[in-house]
Amino acid sequence: MAVESDFSQDGKKLTIKVKGRFDFGKHQEFREAYERQCPRPDSVVVDLKEATYLDSSALGMLLLLRDHVGGEESDIRVVHASPDVRKILAISNFEKLFDIS
Amino acid sequence: MDVHINQQVLSDLREVMEDGYLQLLETFLEDSERRLNQLHKARDADELGMAAHSFKGSSSNMGAVGLAALCQQLEERVRQQPLYGIEDLINRIDQEYLVVQRYYRSERQRVSAQ
Amino acid sequence: MPAEQALTVLVAEDGAADRLLLAQIVRRQGHEVFTAENGEQAVAMFIERRPQLVLLDALMPVMDGFEAARRIKALAGEALVPIIFLTSLNEEEGLVRCLEAGGDDFMAKPYSAVILAAKIRAMDRLRRLHATVLEQRDQITRHHHHLLNEQRVAKAVFDKVAHSGCLKAANIRYLQSPYALFNGDLLLAAFTPSGDMHVLLGDFTGHGLPAAVGAMPLAEVFYGMTAKGYGLAETLREMNAKLKRILPVDMFCCALLLSLSFQRGTVEVWNGGMPDGYRLSAEGEVLGMLCSHHLPLGVLAPEQFDDATQVLPLAVGERLFLLSDGVVDTGDAQERLFGVDRLRDVLADNRNPDLLFDEVMQALAVFGGQSRDDISLCDIRMSAPEELAPQPVVYSDSGRSSPLDWSLRFELRGQSLRRFNPVPYLVQLLQEIHGLRPSSGRLHSVLSELYSNALEHGVLAMDSRLKRDAQGFAQYYRQRAERLMHEVGGFVSIGLQVEPRGAGGRLMIEVRDSGAGFDVARELARTPEQQAFSGRGMGLVQRLAGQARWLEGGRLAQVDFEW
Repeated sequence: MAVESDFSQDGKKLTIKVKGRFDFGKHQEFREAYERQCPRPDSVVVDLKEATYLDSSALGMLLLLRDHVGGEESDIRVVHASPDVRKILAISNFEKLFDIS
Repeated sequence: MDVHINQQVLSDLREVMEDGYLQLLETFLEDSERRLNQLHKARDADELGMAAHSFKGSSSNMGAVGLAALCQQLEERVRQQPLYGIEDLINRIDQEYLVVQRYYRSERQRVSAQ
Repeated sequence: MPAEQALTVLVAEDGAADRLLLAQIVRRQGHEVFTAENGEQAVAMFIERRPQLVLLDALMPVMDGFEAARRIKALAGEALVPIIFLTSLNEEEGLVRCLEAGGDDFMAKPYSAVILAAKIRAMDRLRRLHATVLEQRDQITRHHHHLLNEQRVAKAVFDKVAHSGCLKAANIRYLQSPYALFNGDLLLAAFTPSGDMHVLLGDFTGHGLPAAVGAMPLAEVFYGMTAKGYGLAETLREMNAKLKRILPVDMFCCALLLSLSFQRGTVEVWNGGMPDGYRLSAEGEVLGMLCSHHLPLGVLAPEQFDDATQVLPLAVGERLFLLSDGVVDTGDAQERLFGVDRLRDVLADNRNPDLLFDEVMQALAVFGGQSRDDISLCDIRMSAPEELAPQPVVYSDSGRSSPLDWSLRFELRGQSLRRFNPVPYLVQLLQEIHGLRPSSGRLHSVLSELYSNALEHGVLAMDSRLKRDAQGFAQYYRQRAERLMHEVGGFVSIGLQVEPRGAGGRLMIEVRDSGAGFDVARELARTPEQQAFSGRGMGLVQRLAGQARWLEGGRLAQVDFEW
């Protein structure tokens, strides 16, 4: 599985791991990773440790996730982004929407 | 008759050909005369081999197992020069065909009488 | 034994008895049979009856089975017509010849009805599978043609819209891959009424038609608001709000917007998500970067949107070089990216600006070889004001009504000073006067200049001397934004008075502010060179308007236009 999702025991925190190229090909899997669970998690961690590349449709997917878990009120952390991936996130100024580390 | 004719093949033919069985017998007898003629008139090894090959095929289809086996021997034999002793093999084919011809003619008689 | 599906079968066999037998076997399995005695007959029969399957004896007189098989396969073309060779050939060489001639299977004598039936069924499955694949391939081809045609039509429509702007202006050079639009790339340029040039290089998320749909409304807002004289901030706010409203959540548009003022020698920049643009000297040396400081358009709600722009000096001959991410993201076979460093090498090596695009494309080709269809390059040169003539505005009314005797006064305070730009409204209003239409560009410039002077130097008490250099520029505009953020006291008042005079008329403009005023005589005495960027644009106003006066210690500006 190129996209893995894992809920904390209390079901409040969702961790999504993306492996390989994070592009339109992951669209379906990425959506399923957070849409399956009901009720919605309080916080989401997107782990990009094994993501090699990220394109603009991946940015779109992050926006969809943000919208799904509450938009303005959402608590999403993007972690372990490689320097290349961080550069892409930085050009689009996504640190204004997500907690990127 | 088992060395000459495979009865199982013949009964299958009867079933498959239905009303055409008689015609098949006649066609085979005519066809075989032509094949034998080709065997005797062959000018070289290739022509002889071709004729033996074709005769082998039709005999095997008709259940004439002895004849088919002799034709195969001939087909293989012509590939090895020199060709001496080959007349003997052709003679044996002639002899075997006479047996087969006799059998199919009586079969034809029997069927057309029905 | 009835067949599941009746086929038409050609039996080619020179032995009469074998032919009779085989035809009967196949017929009894429910198929329709045609017969041939040799290869030549078989080919003729194939042409005449187009059978779906062929049983072919290898050794036949006149034309053998191998030759017949080759001809039949050639005649069948793309369709699969399975050929089963009938042979008692048992040596390898013969079997290989059968396959090479196009045979699909073998059948040995003596014939077995059971085995033959199974082989025919297997070949029929293969034949159907092949037909399905062909049909689907043709369907895909048709869909593809259809799609290409749709794209072609959409592109033609869009090209009309995009080229209604001024991309052909002498100071712009650009290069876009033919279908860049369908990869989301968008390049627009237009003049404002005062002769400023607005440029947008955008990149929508995604590919294909979905990436192109947002382009139309964006272009509409861009052209509409630029033509009416709105500034970048207002245009950006409107574009963002519109895209946010109409696009799905995961779609947005990275964009870099420029406003070049040829009169002032400045460029205003906003970059949300586009790769760094470059500010180049006339010789091509990199003077600075136009970096992305914002989220792309269509992401944030209107309340959160940040329209803060950067204003930089740009001297005549200096250039701005913009590009889409297709350039830096071009990958080679090892998935390495072309990247910014290689691009900067190309910029550093460039000697002739006219060859820059070629050199970039050449470097991309050498690097990756894989050509991408989302490459946009744009090079904009700052030119002298007189060098560029904005296209004449086309008015839609017939020109009968032309109110000539009226006046109005307009006072902006507090909140309104922060965001509202009254100039486009006033210019539109004044365009009702036909005699003023030829001067609408000058009118727009003069009003803009007087209004921003009154706001910045009057109400906000900004010191124009800050704008000496690029650093001072940045500081000046940062300070301006900060002061506007806080409670703004005071006012700017604009008065317009129109009166008929013979066949023509006269417009008197008064702009008054609540600021401390300035030493008018000293300011007017400064030469244009001394003023440079740090002047109050008084020279510009005097140049564009016939009559300009500063009264009440610099707090009141009066300008007359006559026609």
